[in-house]
Amino acid sequence: MEFTGEHLGPGQLGHFFVITSFIAALFSAFSYFKAAQTETKDISASNSWLLLGRNGFIFHTASIFGIFTALYYIISSHLFEYNYAWQHSSLALPTKYLLSCFWEGQEGSFLLWTIWHCVLGLVVMATARKLESRTMAIISLVQVALTTMLLGFYFGADIKVGSTPFMLLRNQMAGAPIFAQGNYMSFIKDGNGLNVLLQNYWMVIHPPVLFLGFASTIVPFAFVMAALWKRDYQSFIKPTIAWSLFAGAVLGTGIMMGGAWAYESLTFGGYWAWDPVENASLVPWLTLVAGLHTLLVYKSTGRTLGATFILLILTYLFVWYSTFLTRTGVLGDTSVHAFTGEGKSLYWHLLVVLGVLMVLSITLLSVRWKKLPTVKGEEATSSREFWMFIGSIILLLSAFQIIFSTSLPVWAPLAKKILNKEIAPPVDPVAQYNNIQVWVAIIVALLSASILYLKFKKTETKKVWQRLGITGLIGLVISLGISLSMKIDAWQYAVLMFAACFAVVANIYYGIAIQKGSLKKMGASIAHLGFALMIVGIILSSYKKEVISINTLGVVMDFGKKTQAENIRESRENVLLFLNTPVVMGEYTATYKGDSASTDPGDPRHYYRVDYERRDSITKKVVEKFSLYPDAFINPKGQQGLSANPSSKHYLSRDVFTFITSAIDPSKRTDTASYKTYIVHKGDSIYFNNGYMVFENVDGKVNDPRYQPEQGDLAVTATMDVYDASGLVKKIKPLYYLRGQSSNYIEDTLRDMGIYTRFSRVIPEDNAIEILLKQTNPKDDYIVLKAMVFPYINVLWLGTAVMVIGFLLSIWYRVGQKEKLPVFSDDLTEKE
Amino acid sequence: MKKTHIVLLVLVAAAVCVIVSMFGDFSTYETFASASKQPGKQYHVIGFYEKTMATEYDPLKDPNHFSFFVKDKSGNLRKVIFNGAKPTDIEKSEQVVMTGYIDGENFHCSKIQMKCPSKYKKDQIAVGGAS
Repeated sequence: MEFTGEHLGPGQLGHFFVITSFIAALFSAFSYFKAAQTETKDISASNSWLLLGRNGFIFHTASIFGIFTALYYIISSHLFEYNYAWQHSSLALPTKYLLSCFWEGQEGSFLLWTIWHCVLGLVVMATARKLESRTMAIISLVQVALTTMLLGFYFGADIKVGSTPFMLLRNQMAGAPIFAQGNYMSFIKDGNGLNVLLQNYWMVIHPPVLFLGFASTIVPFAFVMAALWKRDYQSFIKPTIAWSLFAGAVLGTGIMMGGAWAYESLTFGGYWAWDPVENASLVPWLTLVAGLHTLLVYKSTGRTLGATFILLILTYLFVWYSTFLTRTGVLGDTSVHAFTGEGKSLYWHLLVVLGVLMVLSITLLSVRWKKLPTVKGEEATSSREFWMFIGSIILLLSAFQIIFSTSLPVWAPLAKKILNKEIAPPVDPVAQYNNIQVWVAIIVALLSASILYLKFKKTETKKVWQRLGITGLIGLVISLGISLSMKIDAWQYAVLMFAACFAVVANIYYGIAIQKGSLKKMGASIAHLGFALMIVGIILSSYKKEVISINTLGVVMDFGKKTQAENIRESRENVLLFLNTPVVMGEYTATYKGDSASTDPGDPRHYYRVDYERRDSITKKVVEKFSLYPDAFINPKGQQGLSANPSSKHYLSRDVFTFITSAIDPSKRTDTASYKTYIVHKGDSIYFNNGYMVFENVDGKVNDPRYQPEQGDLAVTATMDVYDASGLVKKIKPLYYLRGQSSNYIEDTLRDMGIYTRFSRVIPEDNAIEILLKQTNPKDDYIVLKAMVFPYINVLWLGTAVMVIGFLLSIWYRVGQKEKLPVFSDDLTEKE
Repeated sequence: MKKTHIVLLVLVAAAVCVIVSMFGDFSTYETFASASKQPGKQYHVIGFYEKTMATEYDPLKDPNHFSFFVKDKSGNLRKVIFNGAKPTDIEKSEQVVMTGYIDGENFHCSKIQMKCPSKYKKDQIAVGGAS
């Protein structure tokens, strides 16, 4: 059959680029491998292979960008004959979200990952020098694996390798009756559209940063593998430190941006929920940071080389394992995200890649293990390396606990065979993680406070104890002050607060007194300071998070939650707000003032205005007033109900965070109110629900833009002053006019009070007029709202920024350092 | 033995203890029948939203009360009471995972997780309980 109206060109071109990128990656990996193999035997052959490898990788990069361009063209030109464009975009989608379509779909996500590898690969190619052949062989090999994800080849009917983003809709849904017609394209008017949750500026910037963080973990991995391969345990140190710092900074930023996204635009009510997808990105970060620290130990003392290799290899394996967990749907019932992916083919594909990487790295490491350089003798207990190693192990154990709990759906089938029970996540998973990780945080915070004061190899302990004692005391005083004033009553968190305050004070003191404020050298202390500030911010904002939209007024909230009844009481967190009816929430009085569609036609959201007032507790005067506009997509994508976005009031010291949980469908709103008739003389009052109005006068001089005067008209306006509980609000001026024999009127309304007035008759004999008044029944319009206060959440964001700055300063310092042999090299040869 | 080895051993032992103790926290997937053996204890129950039965959510009466019927995996029907607003699109879910407990005839839950039929939509979760 002939299909008409299709644009097959871009797809064919794109698919061509998929194949060339795959072949070029394969070619590049092979050439780089040969270059490494012939390096010692035949230097000129090695150089030729190196050149081929470089060209292969550059050609691969060009092809990957070709794929990207083709796919971008398809999405931006709305070619809905392509499944990817149909699934993830629509005509109405604003241009700024076109890129978001890439990371909504799985093929696009893999493409993004591949693109970052290309960029990083080019930098490594230009800077790795003697290790170029080996590092680039590893990177190209991973690129081979990643491009197979985009192939979409079938072997027989059942085995499918990869999934191409250029699949046509008619092939994706083969058999659907619409495709029996050649002109099916004339029926497909619009795409399925982008998930409304992703239509948010955080989703424009968060995924690329997170993917760059994930992608950059390949570089330390490649350098570690290259070092093992070449048995060169010197020249990899400097680049690996720099790249680990880079990956740590970017991945850390990406993770916290994810937190900020969840906080700003999702309705979880927080920035961290120990969700499997969040954990999957945190775990590699923890092992990466651990590996970075053992590598620093190795650089200065020659110890912990083996641990460094294990940690950095593990980091990269965790990145792939995380991909496996989050992309294949194995997490099933336990994750909010749980991408139901490509099913079986992707499941096996990722397992194979993970298996290959594991076998390669573990074999290489175990072959070399026995001959890794070590230092004889024991490190001193007062040495920096001893405690850095302990800290790294703590981070590793923390990562293990998190990944073990997250992997529950993976090992649960096995547990079922042994225990004959279907194990489910804890009833309160957040509590389980918190109860364990609070100890990790305490130890890590204490170490990051004190380690910098210790020196490598040997430390003069007397001075250290003095300094730690003073800073510890200051930290204790500050933390006691905070814990008491903020009522941190769980003792573990009070201890953690002390550890974090200690770390803040100790690192500031170290930077100023010992490093003399030399910014370049202060990377470590600034990163540690940032980490400690993050902990302080997390305790204050999460432990003291308070829901203020409590529906059961007068009930004392008990956060001890021992029994079910208490839990239920706690879960009554949605409050009903009728239109214009104030409700007390915490120290605020909140009033729902009405809703409106967005004025921007491209914005499908509905905005709800809620006014907040805070009164002084003694004088009862309003000291603060603001409006929040939480919004929602009503019936998005044919769903029933709403998909809400939060709106927050940001203070320096806290956030008031609100979102809509339920609202009346605007199209189903009914008007149950009716007009009542009042005869009023001058000075008479009309009372209504929350106020009254006084009839002032009748005026023959009409000045109302809605009224078009005609010859012979007789027109008058009635002026009335409207008062609410706090005094005069506004004047309301309904209009009455006689035209020929008929009497007409133009209503006047006070929308925010829901008042409609009609001037319906003049009664000259009584010197009175007739007014019809209607007030909308507040029960006709309401919203259900959830509101909470996050105290000092800005400390968390500040800490994140400070930590990332610390990482970046360290990169600056390390890259600028002169290449010199590590100091331990002398005593190494002596002792071996 | 080196100091580092001793410390390592201690840490690993502590880690093993932590992981073993974690098992006490894990919940189990149950049916309504098995969950009612211990009323008041929280379990996970997987089931299917029953379209033919009446649901109730009237925010005017109580914005934190949503009741509906669920058929569990072994085919038993129960009334479920959720302490929160009605989750969006629950009518279209093909499976729900609920965290809660049996009290009398009803299943009270504080968390509902839904699986939606379209693979283009992310799974959704509704939480009624404080966290």
